[in-house]
Amino acid sequence: MSTTSGIETASVEPLLSLEAITKRFGSFAALSDVSLELRPGEIHCILGENGAGKSTLCNLIFGVHRPDGGAMRFRGVPFQPSGPADALGHGIAMVHQHFSLVPDMTVVDNVLLGRERGVLNRRQCAAQLEKLAVDYGLPLDPDAKIEDLSVGERQRVEIVKCLIRDPSLFVLDEPTAVLLPDEIAALLDVCRRVASSGRAVVLVTHKLAEIKKIADRVTVLRGGRVVATSATPAADIDALVRAMIQGNVEALDSSAASVLGLAPVPRARRDRSAIVKTEALQIDGLTVRDSQGVTRLDNFTLTVDRGEIVGVAGVEGNGQSELTAVLSGMMAATEGRIHLGEAELTGLAPKAITAAGIGIVPEDRHAVGCVTGMSLAENIYLNRLDEFTRFGFLKRSALQREAAAMMQRFDVRARGPAATFSSLSGGNQQKAVLAREITLPNLTCLVAAQPTRGLDVGAVAAVYDHIRAASARGVAILLVSSELDELLSVADRIVVLYRGRIMGACAADPARREDIGAMMAGHAQEHVQGNVHA
Amino acid sequence: MTALDQTGKAAAPRFRLRPALLVPIAAVGFAALIGLGLIALIGVPVGDAIAAFIDGTVGSAYSIAASINRSIAFALVGFGFVLANRANLTNVGGEGQIAVGGIAATAVALDGHVSGLPLGLAFILPMLAGVVAGALWGAIAAIMKIKAGTNEVISTLLLSFIGVWLLYWCVQSPALLRKPMTSSATLPESLEIPEETKLPLLTGDYSFPLHIGLPIAIVIAVVIAVVLSKTILGLRLRAVGLNPVAANRAGISYARTVIFALAAAGGLGGLAGALMLLGEQYTLKDGFSSGYGFDGLVAGLLARGSVTGVIAAALLFGFMRSGGINMEMVAEVPTALVVVIQGLIVITLAGAALFIERWERK
Repeated sequence: MSTTSGIETASVEPLLSLEAITKRFGSFAALSDVSLELRPGEIHCILGENGAGKSTLCNLIFGVHRPDGGAMRFRGVPFQPSGPADALGHGIAMVHQHFSLVPDMTVVDNVLLGRERGVLNRRQCAAQLEKLAVDYGLPLDPDAKIEDLSVGERQRVEIVKCLIRDPSLFVLDEPTAVLLPDEIAALLDVCRRVASSGRAVVLVTHKLAEIKKIADRVTVLRGGRVVATSATPAADIDALVRAMIQGNVEALDSSAASVLGLAPVPRARRDRSAIVKTEALQIDGLTVRDSQGVTRLDNFTLTVDRGEIVGVAGVEGNGQSELTAVLSGMMAATEGRIHLGEAELTGLAPKAITAAGIGIVPEDRHAVGCVTGMSLAENIYLNRLDEFTRFGFLKRSALQREAAAMMQRFDVRARGPAATFSSLSGGNQQKAVLAREITLPNLTCLVAAQPTRGLDVGAVAAVYDHIRAASARGVAILLVSSELDELLSVADRIVVLYRGRIMGACAADPARREDIGAMMAGHAQEHVQGNVHA
Repeated sequence: MTALDQTGKAAAPRFRLRPALLVPIAAVGFAALIGLGLIALIGVPVGDAIAAFIDGTVGSAYSIAASINRSIAFALVGFGFVLANRANLTNVGGEGQIAVGGIAATAVALDGHVSGLPLGLAFILPMLAGVVAGALWGAIAAIMKIKAGTNEVISTLLLSFIGVWLLYWCVQSPALLRKPMTSSATLPESLEIPEETKLPLLTGDYSFPLHIGLPIAIVIAVVIAVVLSKTILGLRLRAVGLNPVAANRAGISYARTVIFALAAAGGLGGLAGALMLLGEQYTLKDGFSSGYGFDGLVAGLLARGSVTGVIAAALLFGFMRSGGINMEMVAEVPTALVVVIQGLIVITLAGAALFIERWERK
C-alpha cells in the first residue's frame, strides 16, 4: 500500500527518523528492520496486536532500551538516548499505559515532582497549568488530590506533566484502554490540538475506531516488522486491518471484531434456550469495606441463572476487583451472602469454592491466576495437583500427558507442557488459565474478569468460544469487563457498577450502549431513562 | 505430538569442566592468597601457618573425622535453609535452633530412664527431642508470620538470641541443667551425658571419631533432594514461594506450607544441635552453638538452592574451621585474622556465584 504522503507533509523535515531499527531480547527479535519517520504536526498511529512490538518501539524512542541495529536521527542529528532522562532532555515525552502518580499528593505537586530542584514554585506551576488547560482543553484543579480524581482526570495529569516540559515529540502508549467513551473523544481532541501546535504525536493503539477518527499516518507492526503504512488511513482501514491480523476481516469472530472496532456490535445472543430458569449463582447484599473503612462494594445483589451470561460493566476500579476477589474466596465480605444453588459459599476458602464448582478467571493473571516460574503443565493443573500423585510423589509423565491433551483442546501454543509459563505469550497464558478453570469437573459457575485483556484477535475469539460453549452446557457465567463492546456481544444481560454500586441493569442490546455509558459515568438508571424518554 | 515429547524432556546433563567448577576453586585460592599475605604482614611465618592449617584439616585421621563432624552440623542447617528458601522463606535462626536442640537433647539424655533403653533408643530419643525442639522454635516464627505478618528474617534472628540466652540460663541455673555445685569452682555446664546416650562411632575407634551423624545426614540430604524435585510437597513449596496468592487461589494452603517449611528448617537446626552435643561435646556449655548456625546459614546461601551445593559449602566450612582452630593454637595466628580470612573466602565465593550466573545466562 505505502501510499505516498501528501504534498504538504512531504516537504517537512522529519523530527525523528528510525532507520532499519532492530531490537532483540535474547534470541527473540522484538523489532526487525523497522523504519519510520515522525513529522512535526502529525498524529502518527502505531497499530498492531499485542506482542507486535509497539511498546518496544516506544521504549526505544524514550531511551528505555537501546537498539541492536539501525540508527535513529532526531532533527537530522544521530540520536542515541542513554535513558528516559536523556530523551526528556531532547524534548521527547511519553505517557505510559500505567500511571506514575502519587495518590495522596495534589496535582501541582505531582507535576512538580522530579522537575524542580530546591524551592518549589507552586504558584508559577499552577499558572502554567491554567495556560495548558486553555490551550489544549485539559481542565484540572491544581489543588485536587490525585486519589480524588477519576481515571480520565488522572490521565490528564500525566499528559500535563509531559506538556509542561514543552516536548517536540509526544508519545502515548495505549492511552485509551482505561477511558470512558466520552473521555476517549476528549483525549483524541487533545491529541489533535497538541499536533496542531507543531509537535509530533505518536499514538499507540490497537483500536481502529481511533485511527479512523484521528490518524494522519499509520504504521502497522506485526511480529516486529512494519507490514503496512498509510497516509490516508481512513480510506485504507480494511487493508490496515488485514495487515495487522494477517487475515480476512470477514473471517473474524464477529464479537472479537466488534471489540476491535472493526464491525458493529452484533446483537447479542443466538439461542437462549440454554438458559434454564434455575438460579445458579446468587449474590445477596454483598458489601466490602477496606481497611480504611471505605466502601468498595455496596449492597451488590445479583442472580445468574444456569446457562446465562451476565456482564458486569463499569470503568475499572469501581468495585469489580473486590467482587471477583470475594467470589473467589480471596477476600472476606463485610456483609452479604453468596449461594451456589443450595450451597452457601459465604466466607469459604478458595479451595472449598473451587470444590463447590466455581471457576475463576482472575483479572490479574500474573498475580492471581498462575505461577509464572512454574511449568505450563503445573499451571494447568495447579488446583488439581493431588490427582497426579502416588505416595506423595508427583507423577510427572502423567501430568505432562494430560497437560499436552489440554494444550491441544484449548489451542495453547507453547514449546511443550514442560515450558516455563512465563515463556508463553499473554494469549496462551490466558487460554491455559481458562482451560484450568473451565475444565473443573463439577463446574456450575464461571467468573471471568477481564478475560480478553491484552489478547490478540485470535485468542479473544477462542476465549469467547469457550465461554459460550460452557454456557451452552448450562454453566452460569459472570463476565466482568471494562470493554463495553465485549459485554454487548457476549452477555445476555448487563449490570453496571459505579463506585461499588449497581447503577442499573439492562439487556445486552447494542441499542442501549449510550444508556450503559451514562450509567458507567455514574448516572443512575432512572435518570438515564428519563433523559431517553424526554 | 512427538516433537512435543522430545522437547518436553530436559537433556541429560553431561559432566564437563565448566566455569561453574573452576571459578569457585579459583576464588577460594585467591582469598587464601590474600589471607596468607595478611598472615605474613603480622609477622607469623607463612610456612608455619600453612603447616598448622594442613595438620588441622587432613593431617591425621582424627582431624579429618573432626572436620567432617563439624561439616554435618553446617550441612543440616544449610539443608533447612534451602528447604525453607524453596517457599521463599529465609530462615536465619539456625543458631537458636541449634541451641534449643542441644538443650532438649541434653535434658533427655540426662534423664535417668533414657540411658537404659535398648535398641539405640538411648541416643535416638535425645536426638528426636532435639529435632522436636528445633521444629517448635521454627514454628513460632511461622505462626508469627501467618498471624501477624512478621518477617521471618526478623523473627528467626531474634528467636536465635532468645535460644542462645535460654541455653545460658540452663547451664547457669542448678534448678535446670547445671551440674551439682560441689564447690564454688564448679563450671557453669551440664553433667556429661551417659555413655549409652553418646552417638556410636562408625569405626568404634576414638582416634577416628566419625559418628553415626554422617549416615543420618546423607539420608537426610537424599530425602530433601527427592522431596524438592520429585514430590508434590516440593511443588507446593515452590508454588507458595513463587506466588503465594496464586497458590492460595489454587487451594494450596499458605499457612500450612509456611509452618511446614519453617518447622522443618528448625527441626534440622535442632538435629544439628543434638548431634553436636551427643556426638562431640557431651556436656552442654555456654557458647555451645558457637556460630554454627550462622555458618550453616552461609552454606545454605552460597548453595543457591542446591543440596549438593550445601554439602560442598558445608565441607569447605568444616575443614576451614578445623584448620583455622589449629592455626590459632599451633601457629598463633590471631583468632580475628582467621575469621577475616574465612569472611574473605565467603565473599569471593559469593562473587564467583554471581559471575557464574551471568556467564550461564549468556
